[in-house]
Amino acid sequence: MNPVRAGASHKAFSLDRIAAIASNTLTELTRLKVFYVLLLFACVLIGSSVLMARLSFQQEFQVLKDISLGAMSIFTSLLAIVATARMLPQDTEDRIVYTILAKPVPRFEYLLGKLLGVLLLLAISTLIMSALFLALLYSREHAALAATNRQMAGLPQEQLHAALQSIRDSTFNPDLLPGISVIFLKACLLASLTIFISTFATSQIFTVVVTVFVYFIGHLQGTAREFWLQGHSAGWLARTFLAVVALLFPDLQLFNLADEVVAGAAIPLAIFLKTAALGAFYTVIYLLFATAIFSAKEL
Amino acid sequence: MKRFLLVLAATLLFGSVKLPAEHALFAARSELRLHGVPMDLSLREQIGQLGFIAALSGFRSLIADFLFIQAHVAWERTEWSRVLLLFRQVTTLQPRGVLFWDMAAWHMGWNASVSVFNDKSQPRLALRIKAQREYWDLARDFLERGIKNNPDQPKLYEALGRLYREKYKDHARASESFAKTAEQPGAPSYAKRFTLYELSYCEGREQEAYERLLQLYNADENERLPTLISRLKLLEEKLNIPLAERIPDRAH
Amino acid sequence: MIEAAVVVTGVTKTFPVPFKRRSVLAVRDLSLRVDAGQVYGLLGPNGSGKSTTLKIILGLVAPTRGKAEIFARDSTEVASREAVGFLPENPYFPKYLTGAETLRFYGKLCGLSSRALTKKIQELLELVGLTSAGDRRLGGYSKGMLQRIGLAQALVNEPRLVVLDEPTAGVDPVGSREIRDLILDLKKRGITVLLSSHLLDQVQEVCDRVGILANGELVSEGAVNELLAVENQTEVVFEAGSEELTRQIEALINTAGGRLIDCRKSRKTLERLFLDVTLK
Ligand SMILES: Nc1ncnc2c1ncn2[C@@H]1O[C@H](COP(=O)(O)OP(=O)(O)OP(=O)(O)O)[C@@H](O)[C@H]1O
Ligand SMILES: [Mg+2]
Repeated sequence: MNPVRAGASHKAFSLDRIAAIASNTLTELTRLKVFYVLLLFACVLIGSSVLMARLSFQQEFQVLKDISLGAMSIFTSLLAIVATARMLPQDTEDRIVYTILAKPVPRFEYLLGKLLGVLLLLAISTLIMSALFLALLYSREHAALAATNRQMAGLPQEQLHAALQSIRDSTFNPDLLPGISVIFLKACLLASLTIFISTFATSQIFTVVVTVFVYFIGHLQGTAREFWLQGHSAGWLARTFLAVVALLFPDLQLFNLADEVVAGAAIPLAIFLKTAALGAFYTVIYLLFATAIFSAKEL
Repeated sequence: MKRFLLVLAATLLFGSVKLPAEHALFAARSELRLHGVPMDLSLREQIGQLGFIAALSGFRSLIADFLFIQAHVAWERTEWSRVLLLFRQVTTLQPRGVLFWDMAAWHMGWNASVSVFNDKSQPRLALRIKAQREYWDLARDFLERGIKNNPDQPKLYEALGRLYREKYKDHARASESFAKTAEQPGAPSYAKRFTLYELSYCEGREQEAYERLLQLYNADENERLPTLISRLKLLEEKLNIPLAERIPDRAH
Repeated sequence: MIEAAVVVTGVTKTFPVPFKRRSVLAVRDLSLRVDAGQVYGLLGPNGSGKSTTLKIILGLVAPTRGKAEIFARDSTEVASREAVGFLPENPYFPKYLTGAETLRFYGKLCGLSSRALTKKIQELLELVGLTSAGDRRLGGYSKGMLQRIGLAQALVNEPRLVVLDEPTAGVDPVGSREIRDLILDLKKRGITVLLSSHLLDQVQEVCDRVGILANGELVSEGAVNELLAVENQTEVVFEAGSEELTRQIEALINTAGGRLIDCRKSRKTLERLFLDVTLK
């Protein structure tokens, strides 16, 4: 062993280090029971939507899509908040953060690695749920097409075609994919927000409570913002309040594209890209804020 | 503490940057009617506290589905006023759900109206007819509001056309609705034919109907369906079209 | 002049107490210097500020006043930690990793390549005596084993400075001896060691220099030999001597103008006894 490794230049930013922290975080998160419980719950929910057998095909598909996307949304949001909120306190309590930061690891990289670990977990679970959902949708579509073919055996081709087409239209539509992507982006935003809050929070519960609070206000922010921008409100107190809400909170309602997708609305590419950019922007900004606070934090 | 205030200030600063972006996106989506529904007090009164909170937190569609299934149960029990109430909530929560508007109108116009008309607990026929018409009007109202929210969906125009045709027996309006259906993207091929069939029943518009039906007849062999031919023949008779110009007795 | 591994100048650290006006003074106006190649021991009772001082040196805690440097680089710079290994007190690593995976993770953080690491990990596991436990999860490690894997982790990047916060806490005498030997081995290879402890005799055995902290202040500092040498006294230990011989020596001392202070049978230390019986 050569004790002196003189002159080895330190890299200010290293993807290897970030990757090491991210994969370690992912391993840590996949050991969490809550992850499997939530994932199982979401999958059962998606699976159970098939049991709405009393409904007609079209209704069944709509319910299947709504429940599945709703389950994905709940699961990813909840996981983003719960999994992220415990990361920093846990590492501090176990003193793992000392051993990591005593290595030449900038604090920004530490946070980024942690966040990427959570995002990876969210991506993996989104993929699992999407796969289950699409497989289910596909098999139900198949069943519906077969049943229709049987029922309408004697009828004219034109009518049969129309019936089959209406089934195809109401099952998979390509707009589902941007819808799912936006659900994922919303979870990313929430994870980043949770890291930000946990850098100054005094406990894990505090982080969760504040994030959930922001989550609800975030869904109202759009209403408050438009109200404020239109200058309707009379008193200055109310105006200031609306302004603070509009400036301080993210507009989470913008990330609910899935509702409209399931209802059959088409999402123009530009709208999707803008929404995605907004989500990514928020995620980055919150991480930068988190770094600003975490850099000065006493460990 | 100083740092916290600094970050708070940064958040507000960042807020003023993201605000225009959010507003622009919101405006662009409003134009396409992709902005969901305004979360106001009247909605809260309609769907109750718990539903309102859930709807607030991004599960609007899920609540709508839940209420929709309840409406389905209410229908099986023929509790018509409950069906009406639930469908009002469902369509308020998810105004982009064409299926919801369509189902709401169908229950009102075709199920509830028939049920009240046959309701022997009301001995006076006049009142039963009145109740029946009220449900037709409700159906029409659902469809018209559905169209306002989804102006490019052929399904709702078609449903309106059928309502006018079968229930109100208003052929002019039915024809108009089918014409609107045919204009929408993805409209079924029969929408054009239905428009003209209805037109052919309208007093005083027989000539127009005849010309357009004939045009359709000549344009495409696939359109020469039994109904089309019989309507044409009837009009030829009515308008005293010279024998030479009449269509052959049997198309193929 | 010998290169300085660590220089601390006028460091004061106060921790604010939440919801109270007053704050805790952990370290007061502390200055010290550790030369490269030295083994330096930081002593002091519980709560005297040892850990805080080490954290300031490592840049984990920002000093309220003053500054710390490692190899002439300010501790607040991330790059200053490039050639440093740190073992915190009561270390605790991710439970779900095996010993080898832990070392791999920390090696990656130091920018080592996977290839280099594979060899390095074996070497380190051997060094701390965990070769057979390398593929077991840390969740099943004993306290002493955790301490060792912590030590191995601190050495993964071949540091020039190793900072150990109570390296022998919770380790049995055999392990403690091994850690002592390891520290001496590091010293032999020219690596600077800065450690904190309150086990005085151990510090005495390995350290070249010690600083004693009390209530956050450095109350005494110097080379171990100098600090502990009792002026004017010399100890003689011999074997197989008779009572007669002892008397003769006493007479000799008296005639030379000296004074015999104590004469007793040599005793094993408890540690020696423990080692003798357990190592058989
Ligand atoms: N993060 C912190 N917040 C508030 N006070 C702290 C913090 N860290 C240390 N202190 C206080 O600073 C003083 C010095 O603590 P430190 O941990 O440095 O002592 P120590 O010498 O390492 O003690 P021990 O031998 O028990 O490990 C103590 O009074 C402690 O309560
Ligand atoms: Mg300590």
